[in-house]
Amino acid sequence: MRKQHKFSVPEASGPNRQMLRRTLLLMAVCGAAAFALLLARLYKLQILDHELYEQKALEQQLRQAPTAPARGDICDCRGRPLALSASVDNVYLSPAEIRQYGEDRELIARELSRILELDYEDLLEKTGQTGSWYVTVARKVERETADEIRAFKNAYGIRGVRLEPDSKRYYPNGSLACHLIGFVGMDNTGLEGVEAQYDSALRGSPGKSLRSTNAYGTELLFESFEDYVPGEDGCSATLTIDAAVQYMIEKHLRQALADYDIQNGAGAICMDVNTGAILAMVSLDGYDLNAFLDVSDEVRARMAAAETEEEAQEILDAARARQWRNKALSDTYEPGSTFKIITLAMALEEGVVDEHSSFYCGGSVSVKGRTSPIRCWKSGGHGSQDLTQAVQHSCNAAFVNIGLRVGPKRFYDYCEAFGLLKRTGDPDENLSARTGIDLAGESGSIWWSENVFCSERNQSQLAAASFGQTFTVTPLQLITAVSCCVNGGRLMQPYVVQSLRAPDGTLRYEHEPVVVRQVLRPETSARVRRILEQVVGDPKEGTGRNAAVAGYRIGGKTGTSEKVSLEARTGQKEYIVSFIGFAPADDPQIALLVFLDTPSDRSGIYISGGQMAAPVVGNMLADILPYLGYEPELSEEERGSAVPKLEGKELTEAAALLQKEGLRLRTVGEGEIIRAQLPPAGRRVDKDSQVIVYLGTEAPTAPQTVPDLSGLNPEQARELLESRGLFLHTRSPLADAESKIGYQSVKAGTLLSPGAVITVTLISTDDSILGRY
Amino acid sequence: MRYDSARLAGSSPAVTLRRRAEFDGDFFLLVLLLLGIGVLMVFSASFPRAYYDPSGVTGGRAWYYFVRQLIYALLGLGLLLLCARLPMGFYRRWAFPFLGLTLVLLALVPLIGVKANGSRRWLGVGSLTVQPSELAKLAVILCFSAMICRYREQMRSFRRGILPFLGILAAIVGLLVLEPHFSASVIILALGGCMLFLGGAGLGWFAAALGGLGGGLFVLLTFFPYASSRINTWRDPFSSPSSEGYQIVQSLYAIGSGGLTGLGLGAGRQKYLYLPEEHNDFIFSVVCEELGFLGAALILLLFALLILRGYRIALGCEDRFAFLVCAGITTLLALQVFLNVAVVTNLLPCTGISLPFFSYGGTALLIQMGEMGIVLSASRERKERE
Repeated sequence: MRKQHKFSVPEASGPNRQMLRRTLLLMAVCGAAAFALLLARLYKLQILDHELYEQKALEQQLRQAPTAPARGDICDCRGRPLALSASVDNVYLSPAEIRQYGEDRELIARELSRILELDYEDLLEKTGQTGSWYVTVARKVERETADEIRAFKNAYGIRGVRLEPDSKRYYPNGSLACHLIGFVGMDNTGLEGVEAQYDSALRGSPGKSLRSTNAYGTELLFESFEDYVPGEDGCSATLTIDAAVQYMIEKHLRQALADYDIQNGAGAICMDVNTGAILAMVSLDGYDLNAFLDVSDEVRARMAAAETEEEAQEILDAARARQWRNKALSDTYEPGSTFKIITLAMALEEGVVDEHSSFYCGGSVSVKGRTSPIRCWKSGGHGSQDLTQAVQHSCNAAFVNIGLRVGPKRFYDYCEAFGLLKRTGDPDENLSARTGIDLAGESGSIWWSENVFCSERNQSQLAAASFGQTFTVTPLQLITAVSCCVNGGRLMQPYVVQSLRAPDGTLRYEHEPVVVRQVLRPETSARVRRILEQVVGDPKEGTGRNAAVAGYRIGGKTGTSEKVSLEARTGQKEYIVSFIGFAPADDPQIALLVFLDTPSDRSGIYISGGQMAAPVVGNMLADILPYLGYEPELSEEERGSAVPKLEGKELTEAAALLQKEGLRLRTVGEGEIIRAQLPPAGRRVDKDSQVIVYLGTEAPTAPQTVPDLSGLNPEQARELLESRGLFLHTRSPLADAESKIGYQSVKAGTLLSPGAVITVTLISTDDSILGRY
Repeated sequence: MRYDSARLAGSSPAVTLRRRAEFDGDFFLLVLLLLGIGVLMVFSASFPRAYYDPSGVTGGRAWYYFVRQLIYALLGLGLLLLCARLPMGFYRRWAFPFLGLTLVLLALVPLIGVKANGSRRWLGVGSLTVQPSELAKLAVILCFSAMICRYREQMRSFRRGILPFLGILAAIVGLLVLEPHFSASVIILALGGCMLFLGGAGLGWFAAALGGLGGGLFVLLTFFPYASSRINTWRDPFSSPSSEGYQIVQSLYAIGSGGLTGLGLGAGRQKYLYLPEEHNDFIFSVVCEELGFLGAALILLLFALLILRGYRIALGCEDRFAFLVCAGITTLLALQVFLNVAVVTNLLPCTGISLPFFSYGGTALLIQMGEMGIVLSASRERKERE
């Protein structure tokens, strides 16, 4: 008999039948049905919706670490660097880890404040933000500084100070071509110019360094999932821009800005007429690309004077928007007389005029639909002129006549063909067009609707358009159309990026010149060139004569456009003066447009394209053409005289040599043998200049101040310079009595050694050339 | 084997109650298996939180939670063996004193309990804390079993078969509401209901109770914004993925990204501080993420086998008390597993229910192991032919 347990209960009995039934039911529910339900749910979540949840989970678990690819360089057409990237580091704190590892906050703050020259208290406060794993301390820190921080981290085994790689953009030329190149923001995204337009190519594909992180954004412990998809560094871009040409143009344009007291900035474009490549594009005032947020002292003064912070911010924003604006691309203006080139070209192409056509200008011309007649800039009228003279004189009356002969419909067609407007199919819509250049920020032209322009009853739109008023285009559109007129009749699409190369040097993109359409026959284009060359090349009748450069064949056209809408609004008369030139006139390679927005009459120079813009273009071409390899073909007079070597020779021999070169002689000291001479041998000076020879004494070396020569005629200038031991070389084909010095190669006030030669160009101040054309 | 309960009730001399030397091996093996996997999963799920230590408890020691859980698992194993040795009569004798103790502890909780997340649910003795609600579950099973045995044929009457039970439930739930502890209340009410169902209460009462429950829920959701916002979160957790819905959304990310085979043991990513309570109420999400559908299904299968085995043991009991306790504990286990997994998979609104053998928590694990020990003790009191 087994022992009964002491706790066994006497009335013990098993479960009854009902209990067993109910237990079986519970068993079925709790042991099977419930689990079937759970399994179904898991199947739905884990198998059917797996990808959805995995995707969402990865989104939060994976961080794309900032492995920014190196941004591609930008260089000019001769390989000179315009924009470069350098590796830098961002410095940040992980205060949570500083706390976790018990690192010395004061040490960290002290060292960082020393290395980065930051405020100690501020850093100490940041190290104490222990809830955070990422507190930025400094961005884009240079390599040497970052190395110092690394050394500090290693020396003390600091984990709470972190570095992450970043890149920084450098622009070695500062403000040169700033609007073209553009700049990048803090996140290395291109914001303006080529940097913006070609951002995706320059930036490269970001290396996807996928890194699994915990909810605080730091690394996992053991099972860290890392996937490094190597990015590709950005392509480097070669521009069509020539930095030297850009520099020359900027230099002369800045000079013009000062000389003419320009109120509203200026711009210039230099284009390869045969390809549409932009060699230079300038918009002033510019800004330093390395500090694109900085504004001028004048703006800062205005900000300081502002009453509220909002007002100061508004001033700042407006100033930045203004300095970043590329006037050559984003401004539209009424081109004025420079547009006569287009009118001329279409009239010749259509055969409604030829070189033997005769035009009479009585000072004004009546037009159907206008109550008052259109006045020519020359109130007395130009009298009877042939076609070339009408262009040389920039005669408005003749051009109204030419425009009317072309007729509104054909005129409109040609404007469309020249890319100045684009029909939409709605004849009542005001039209617009762009060149499609590969730069961000291009504005479009504004034209009358076809119905208004082509009205039978009112021809005033057509008449005004014939000499470039009552519509607006961008400077870029104008130079593109004019290039077409002189390059054989092909409208080229302008562009600034010649090629893109991958980091390994393989060519990714090469621009092939795009012919938009053949607008003119080559013969017509040649006739246009011949006529336009007379505008510059004729020193008597050409209104563009101030753009002439000794030794070069240059064609071009002046423009002085009234800001009509501004005058209508405010009664204020403001002008944009401009000149568009091309060279060589017989086989054009480059075109150059300069426009000066609102010169002031305080400068003392007559406000017109011929007096202001033309000499600027002449000075630019005088620099650019030799640089591009075009040798001047100078006349005897223009070439001046080369100073022979006189040192060591006898006085009589020297006198003979000088006479042969057309130079005069002045002696200083006593003796027979020449010890020194001014200017040194080989220099070119104007004929009739007085060479100084020193007998028995050395030449003086005390520096001389360059005088202001502007407004003098060449003889006066030569005498003034010679009195100081300086010499003159005139580089203008102009020779009439009214020609005055308009530009000197060395600024007044500069100190030069005796014997130096100042090159000058002349402008004509003949009454016949003074007018708003 | 088939047996006649009527004959058993008459204490036939042909069959006598005696304790066998060995308990049910299959049940024990399943418990060991689940406990082992559970402790392992606590380690996998908890080391990131222990390492990063956002609450400043662990001092950055990745082993912190694992070591504690392991110690409790070993202690639990000892308790299990002890409980398996004690005869069922012992539990019956001590059922009511145990209930009394539980009620006292429950009453103390709102007064001196440890506060966490807006509720007082723990009683702290030094670093040792205990949730009296866990004890209450066992107390309900033991007391109800004893009472059902005592009232026998009177179970159909209201005065005997319903009223005393309701009184006990009301007392316990009343004290739980003070904490407040919604999920424990639900489990205890469901558990009590199941016990009465097994005990033979009339089905009409259950219909009435379900009706009352529906009405109560309606009142709760209408007048308690806390509860109704939970319902809204349940219906669309993605409408507030960073506030109310955060926890369940993170849980769904974990479960869903596991796929068929999972990311591998220890390779889960959601436990890196994304998923709250990852080593606790939401440990099953980590299981799903790391072991995939196959692993999760296997673990659910083990639970199902354990539960079926528990009922099988109950059905084999000679003694009605042992039968009821055994079925009760098994039902409790099933309720906990089902509710936990249903919550982490968003089948049910989010509430804190731990997963037996898996969720981190020392005293809860101890009590669960004790309960398993009681089942094993019952497994020894099976009829044996002379």
